[in-house]
Amino acid sequence: MPSRSIDLPQGTLDLLILRTLSLEPLHGWAVSERIQQISSDVLRVQQGSLYPALHRLERRGWIKARWGISENNRKAKFYELTKAGRRQLEIEQDSWQKLTAAVSQILGTA
Amino acid sequence: MLLHDLLFRLRTLMRRPAVETELEDELRFHLERQTDKYVKSGMSEAEAFRRARLEFGGLDQVKNECREARGLSLAESLVQDFHYSASTLLHSPAFTACAVLTLALGIGANTAIFSVVNTVLLNPLPYPNPQELLAARQNESLANLKDMQRQTHSFASSGGVNISPMDFTGNGEPVRVHGAWVDAGLLETLGVQPMLGHWISADEDVKGGARNVVLSYPFWRDFLGGDPHVLGRAIRLSDQTYTVIGVMPRNFTLPRELADVFVSLWAAYPEAAPERGVHFMHTYWRLKPGATLAQAQAEIAQADHRLAEAFPDTERERGTVLMPLHERLVGDVRPALLILFGAVGLVLLIACANFAMLLMARAVTRQRELMIRASLGARNSRLIRQRLTESTLLALVGGAAGLISAKAGTTLLLALKPEELHRLDAIPVDARVFLFVFAISLLTGLLFGLLPAWSASCGDIAEALRENARTTATGVSRSPLRSFLVTAELALALILLAGAGLLIKGFLRLRSVDPGFNPANVITMYLQLPGTRYPQIQLQTNFRRELLARINAFPGAEAAMISDLPLAGNFVGHRLVVEGQPTPAMGSEPLVQVLSVMGDYHGVMQIPIRAGRDFSEMDREGQPRVAIVNETFVRQLLPGQNPIGSRINWARADDPNDWMTIVGITADVKHSGLNQPVDPAIYTPFSQNDEAWRKFMTLVIRTRVPAAALVEDVKKQVWTMDSQIPLSSIQAMDDLLAVSVAQQRFNVLLLGSFAVLAVALAGVGIYGMVAYRVNQRTHEIGVYIALGAQHGDVLRLVMKDGVKLGLLGIVLGLAGALALTRLMVSLLFEVKPTDPATMSGVALLLGAVAVLACYIPARQALSIDPMTALRRE
Repeated sequence: MPSRSIDLPQGTLDLLILRTLSLEPLHGWAVSERIQQISSDVLRVQQGSLYPALHRLERRGWIKARWGISENNRKAKFYELTKAGRRQLEIEQDSWQKLTAAVSQILGTA
Repeated sequence: MLLHDLLFRLRTLMRRPAVETELEDELRFHLERQTDKYVKSGMSEAEAFRRARLEFGGLDQVKNECREARGLSLAESLVQDFHYSASTLLHSPAFTACAVLTLALGIGANTAIFSVVNTVLLNPLPYPNPQELLAARQNESLANLKDMQRQTHSFASSGGVNISPMDFTGNGEPVRVHGAWVDAGLLETLGVQPMLGHWISADEDVKGGARNVVLSYPFWRDFLGGDPHVLGRAIRLSDQTYTVIGVMPRNFTLPRELADVFVSLWAAYPEAAPERGVHFMHTYWRLKPGATLAQAQAEIAQADHRLAEAFPDTERERGTVLMPLHERLVGDVRPALLILFGAVGLVLLIACANFAMLLMARAVTRQRELMIRASLGARNSRLIRQRLTESTLLALVGGAAGLISAKAGTTLLLALKPEELHRLDAIPVDARVFLFVFAISLLTGLLFGLLPAWSASCGDIAEALRENARTTATGVSRSPLRSFLVTAELALALILLAGAGLLIKGFLRLRSVDPGFNPANVITMYLQLPGTRYPQIQLQTNFRRELLARINAFPGAEAAMISDLPLAGNFVGHRLVVEGQPTPAMGSEPLVQVLSVMGDYHGVMQIPIRAGRDFSEMDREGQPRVAIVNETFVRQLLPGQNPIGSRINWARADDPNDWMTIVGITADVKHSGLNQPVDPAIYTPFSQNDEAWRKFMTLVIRTRVPAAALVEDVKKQVWTMDSQIPLSSIQAMDDLLAVSVAQQRFNVLLLGSFAVLAVALAGVGIYGMVAYRVNQRTHEIGVYIALGAQHGDVLRLVMKDGVKLGLLGIVLGLAGALALTRLMVSLLFEVKPTDPATMSGVALLLGAVAVLACYIPARQALSIDPMTALRRE
């Protein structure tokens, strides 16, 4: 495991999952792989914590699940974004960008 | 969003096994994929799997979190909580019994009263589209009713009814039955069809129309054996033959009247039918769809105006008020019922306060268990939820027990019901009552379970733990919630006690009102002469005179008769003029009660003659007309005039020069009710009666022999003279007096028993608090006694808090009572809602109860043995 990887800040996992699923429907393992690849292994997602988050998002109606066949020909549970999820993603992306902009401004001027 | 969430949880719960397998599959897939990845990168299978597991974290924990994320764990843990609660409750039967009993009392009383409110105020009338039905406040004559029907357009139909006694003969003993003298529109208005045959048609309901009768179901069943071929049969009613043309359905009743047979007014009483001035029918009106009460009222007002102009001698003072039928029926009892409902709600609050205190005491005794569970990682929310489950379970069981006790309560209520609730022949426990019980039980369990659970999680338990550990010598439990509950329940109890006290005082006042006569040992019975055999006044007079002579011949019996008995609800009103006074405008002459008497009526009833003389044998037919008036008559109509010798006559009399001379003045009699003002009244001799329709009379007999034997003798005498005349309304004057205050007695009994219940519950509450504190402070008290404290000191120490809270509760309760008793002013008779004597009386009473409730557990503190108490350390 790369030593430079950092733990995920609280509450950002949902945002990352929604963002990842906005491109295409994926199963849980692929979601965790994708997050790690895209973040160039900087972010470390505790794999176990991914699943409760997926189930929670499903309960909220932001993603929905169906069983399909995986790339290695196995039965797997695929998640895809719902309309409500897409709206939620926009909201969260927006507020995240505001937050980071504000934080970097403070850090930049300090 | 919320809906989605709920549906999601529900779906999850229902396909629980499938969800579990899917979760298993999903996580296994992940681990396999991850293992594959590491194998491809060159690891051994075993090493790769180990690595994947390690990265994944605790599998079971992840599964649990997933379940929780799906909302599954909540439902499941509820079931767990339920099992757990049920078994712990079964293991502490004393606590469970106390809690269930407390709630059963509170919920039971509420359910009983709610059942009555439900039946009387909430249930719709038993007629189709009842919201279209209206009733007039005033009575009406048939002629006016017909004119009003013609002149208005808002009504689909309307009809009238007068209830008059009729004699049913030819079936053994003559029986007096309730005849409904109707006009044909009545049944169409109510929207009901006969079960057999048909209703009286409009062309039968005319002068000289066919003499037809429709029977009520009970009459048909009881007197005609439920004969299915009854249509066309002839029956004898008041000496006339009627043909049965219909039978009403079993559950049919008129809105306000009891009726056995229905006949056209034209057939039963052709003389009265065209009389415009005789307002004796109750009228009912059905609005056309879309018409409003306001439109109808406006039309009726116009019709009133036209009638007043056309017939000023009788119709000058019209002012018909229409109101929804339901309001007409329940308007009088609504305030009393709502107040009782409010009162019983306070009783429930007190019961709930006790329930909450029981739960708190239990929490403290179970603190060790709770502490262990908390230290094992049970979260606070879970502990609260578990206790809520327990309290809700208790409340639901209490509610079920309450439902059973309510059933007994409603039976009792039916036995006590006053006249105004006569429609109430059953109090069904319907779906709405079930829903009510379920709702208040659930609410009680959640709300009053939450209070102590919440306060426990906020530190009361911690405090209790400290106490129990006895680490502090001054560790005094002053749980603010418990103090609040005790204060609140005493305040509520005081409010109830004040309400009950006021009602009782009013009731005693009412009972001590002098009715103006002596009801003791007076038996009364009603009879009416059939118009066919006694058409002339002289025949009626002969019958009356003969009957009185026969009864007065009984040893120890003094008999007289009067046309309308006091407190029986009826009187004949006539307008009159006084000789020498300016004649008022036609139709606005003073209206007085006219009471015909025969025999020594004032002597038998012991109504004192204030001036002049009583009637004598000489005041009879053919002699100068005489009258006796009451004191109110003198005060209102003969001011500044010597009443004896003054002369009066009916307004617009046939012979305006045939004056009646006033020969005496009697004391006032409360004719219309003990709480009603006295109207001006005149007594005239039956033998000088000038109205042949006054064929009825009530015998009043003062006797020292048992009433039952006397009644049989009187019946024999009546039937020797005429075997076709029924005797009815046989009752003691004492009973009549009691019936006249039945509504007030009903209120007093109910509110009184609620107050007793409330005081008992509040007493138990304050007792429980002091007993609990004595128990918690055994050690401290032991030390205190060991240091030489006297009995008085110990009592003071222990009782101080309880008495203080009790006094605070009483003061707050007085403030509440002063604010709330205003609402019951309509139920009070000659008592101000703020009556200081009552208020201070109930405050003292409740204070005494509170002190006693503190004293009993304090006595136990005295018997604490210091050595034992210290050794318990």
